[in-house]
Amino acid sequence: MSLIGTSPQRPDAFDKVTGGKGFPVNVKLPGMLHAKLLRSPYPHARILRIDTSAAEKLPGVKAVLVPSEVPKRKYTPVYFVPAAAGSMVQDMLIMSDTVRFAGQPVAAVAATSLRIAEQAIELIEVDYEELPTVFDPEEAMQPGAPQLHEHAANNVAVNPVMGFGDLDKGFAEADHIFEGVYSSHRVHTCYMEPRVCIVDCDRQGNYTVHSSTQHLFGVREKLAYALEIPESKVRVIKAPYIGGGFGGKLDIGYIEPVAALLSRKTGRPVRIEQTRHEDFISTARHPIKVYLKTGVKKDGTFTARHARSILDTGAHATHGAEVINVHGVFGLLMTYRCPNSKWEGYTVYTNNMIGGGYRGYGSPQACFAAESQIDEICEQLKLDPIEFRRKNAWHAGEPHPMVPGVTLDSYAFDECLQSGAERIGWSQRKKADSGSGTKKRGMGFACQPLWVSGCVGFPDIYEHSGAIIKLNVDGTADLAIATMDIGSGQTTTLCQIAAEELGLPMEAVRMVQNSDTTTVPVDAPTHASRATYSAGNAVQAAARTVRERLLKVAGIMLDINPEQLAVANGRVSVKADPKRSLSVAEVVTRAESPFVQHGKNGPAPTTLEEKGTIIGVSSLAPKSNPSPVSVEFVEVEVDTETGQVQVLRVVYAHDLGKLIHRNGAEGQVEGGFQQGMGYALMENLLFDPVSGSCLAGDFLDYKMPTAVEMPRDIQSIFIESNEPSGPFGAKSLSEPCITVPAPAIANAIYNAIGVRIRELPITPEKILAALGKL
Amino acid sequence: MKTIELQINGAAHEVSIEADETLLQVLRNRLDLIGTKKGCDSGGCGCCSVQVDGKVVYSCMMYAAGAAGKAITTIEGLGDGGTTLDPLQQAFIDAGAVQCGYCTCGMIMNASELLATTKNPDEDQIRHAIAGNLCRCTGYTKIVDAIKLAATRIAGRAMESPE
Ligand code: FES
Ligand code: FES
Repeated sequence: MSLIGTSPQRPDAFDKVTGGKGFPVNVKLPGMLHAKLLRSPYPHARILRIDTSAAEKLPGVKAVLVPSEVPKRKYTPVYFVPAAAGSMVQDMLIMSDTVRFAGQPVAAVAATSLRIAEQAIELIEVDYEELPTVFDPEEAMQPGAPQLHEHAANNVAVNPVMGFGDLDKGFAEADHIFEGVYSSHRVHTCYMEPRVCIVDCDRQGNYTVHSSTQHLFGVREKLAYALEIPESKVRVIKAPYIGGGFGGKLDIGYIEPVAALLSRKTGRPVRIEQTRHEDFISTARHPIKVYLKTGVKKDGTFTARHARSILDTGAHATHGAEVINVHGVFGLLMTYRCPNSKWEGYTVYTNNMIGGGYRGYGSPQACFAAESQIDEICEQLKLDPIEFRRKNAWHAGEPHPMVPGVTLDSYAFDECLQSGAERIGWSQRKKADSGSGTKKRGMGFACQPLWVSGCVGFPDIYEHSGAIIKLNVDGTADLAIATMDIGSGQTTTLCQIAAEELGLPMEAVRMVQNSDTTTVPVDAPTHASRATYSAGNAVQAAARTVRERLLKVAGIMLDINPEQLAVANGRVSVKADPKRSLSVAEVVTRAESPFVQHGKNGPAPTTLEEKGTIIGVSSLAPKSNPSPVSVEFVEVEVDTETGQVQVLRVVYAHDLGKLIHRNGAEGQVEGGFQQGMGYALMENLLFDPVSGSCLAGDFLDYKMPTAVEMPRDIQSIFIESNEPSGPFGAKSLSEPCITVPAPAIANAIYNAIGVRIRELPITPEKILAALGKL
Repeated sequence: MKTIELQINGAAHEVSIEADETLLQVLRNRLDLIGTKKGCDSGGCGCCSVQVDGKVVYSCMMYAAGAAGKAITTIEGLGDGGTTLDPLQQAFIDAGAVQCGYCTCGMIMNASELLATTKNPDEDQIRHAIAGNLCRCTGYTKIVDAIKLAATRIAGRAMESPE
């Protein structure tokens, strides 16, 4: 292997450092109109009357859209499930005359300029009848609370309950029982490129869509469903890259269907770009409150665990119907072995903004609860927290506790724990609150013992990918795939996998730009830590087909059995006699040549067998869903006078099967820590408790870590357990990087100052209050 | 509407604008200089950073009219316009400082002011200099590495060819 595990230059980097032309936000079409949404100031209201006459008269206004004009079929906007999936809740309309959160769109205007559109929405008059509101999910579950949706008694949208064993027996067998309530808050993914779309409807009702999205085919499916038209009427163009997603662009927004309807009305392309404030209220990680009760033996063996999780899904269920399951199953129920377990999840409607997808998808909330409580148990029972986790962990070779038919073929939890502990110097850790002075240091760690590499085994979730690879006469290859590059380097790793399999240099493989849903195989989204593993498998399969035919043609040219040939560094050579070789360019040129090829040695006839483009196509779901494992150790310093927490050092150890691109993988860890630390210490999307309006207009109101607050020292340890089902042994990486920081930091804070904070974010105020200084 | 003249990357551009248009709007919407990005439109992210008379400004916070007569540099003005890049651009590629790339141009414009005013900045100086530029992908580690790398290369080049 030559390329795997190295850090070849990202194919998109040159373009990005010179101006980044490929972002959807740059798309401009002739005759394009600009649209703006009018949003409700009330969190719960019925629309009695809308008067758009003044707006329509404004010069430059081309169309106005109101709720009575939109299709009436309810849908789930989530991309990765079928539109009518039974596991999801179909409760969305493009526009409704019932408002359920402050900021819900109630009308839209398309005009010749954004300025005119903005003026026009101010001219729309709406009469509302205000309705009683509820913002706290536990209040919303009480009898008598305002009801948001007819179908949901007590505002509970879904209520999964799972478990095994005998809970009462398990708690009876316990020597100690621990109970705690762990709560988390609403944070935003903060992708830097706003959500934006341009939709162009032609006179025969064909829609062409550009969108800043994590899922090409998701836009097609959900837009067609919401508009009640066949999918073939929607063509979605793949942007070369988008400006970040992190799960925040995993569902169709209001903007795509609204732009589509305005384009249909006007016959012109319609562009909608959200402001940062609109982005803030479009998607967020759900706040989840976890009631966690755990029974353990004296030696630290789990005997019983019971968890109740209350998820605030806001005005509509959307992702909340699935986040709750991932949270419960992968965060609480299955992380460690415990013979008697029960988990109850409640996805609850409130008049808050709608929650969305966010990297980790429910697991950061769970990991904070579970990994905090384990440290509390260890502290009280004087057990070694590393040994405790090791004792209760799964082991390689065991059946996957969640995914039927899958074995934990590669699973290096112990190695992660050990190498991380060694690197941070865990043996030097002092007892809790043993420092002197006002600035105290502490160490802590947390684990994500079980996670996914995609969604094979989940009943309702799409999980196949497909690729097309074509060789060119100059010895290069074109790779076409629907997998969106959302910043985390999908183009790079997929080209790298293709290059490795084809024996080509990295620069010789090029990602096809602007392919679309009519030209590439169907693909699941870039989400669930799946792209390297699942799309990587598809690319490898297509590349194998290509290689096979390449060797076949070369075999004819060299008059040798293709099995005796190998390809590397752009040359096909005879294994036993490497001097006998041809360049890939020569072989492809032969395959593409007419019946007589004119070469150095004069004209030579070619055969039918050699002829035809060397191309490979794949479409497949991966065979497995291997679990990555991650452990993160941090060292913090807490200022007991100000309550400020500074993270000094981070050591992250992760079993990723096989490292594909070292620099890119480190980037995932480092960027994941920025998001995880923001979640732990400072980020918080705040709302006015009375009006329900989001208080964050921009990044001055929403504090995320800058280069100054970030630790200088972030070290990545990659454990290669060689997953048999993955491309070159790889499984996944991205999401655990963001799951473990919050509990690791909370545990380190405890170690520094002896204070346990169970409510995120851990702000200076909470620390000072816990220290009795406020 | 009124007409102003902007000096951008060494060339004069006459543009008709509304009086309240920001420099960012004019660059992106009227001149198609789309390397400058909008991340917040309110002075909070730094994606729109450009240089005006050698100083970094958030172009979303400056009226275009206020930039008339001043020397404006955008990402399109770095390097030779062909395959030769500014040392910072090259270092961002080499250090792997680019993920989604949406913050990248603003980051580079900011770092370029730093390197023009500070030879071999230390890590603290670099981190403080880019504190007004948010990145959600990289955790800044490799961005800091890239700026250090560019500074080292520039210093090396200066050693090779003393003026
Ligand atoms: S767009 Fe100017 S600072 Fe964010
Ligand atoms: S690289 Fe994505 S925001 Fe910086």
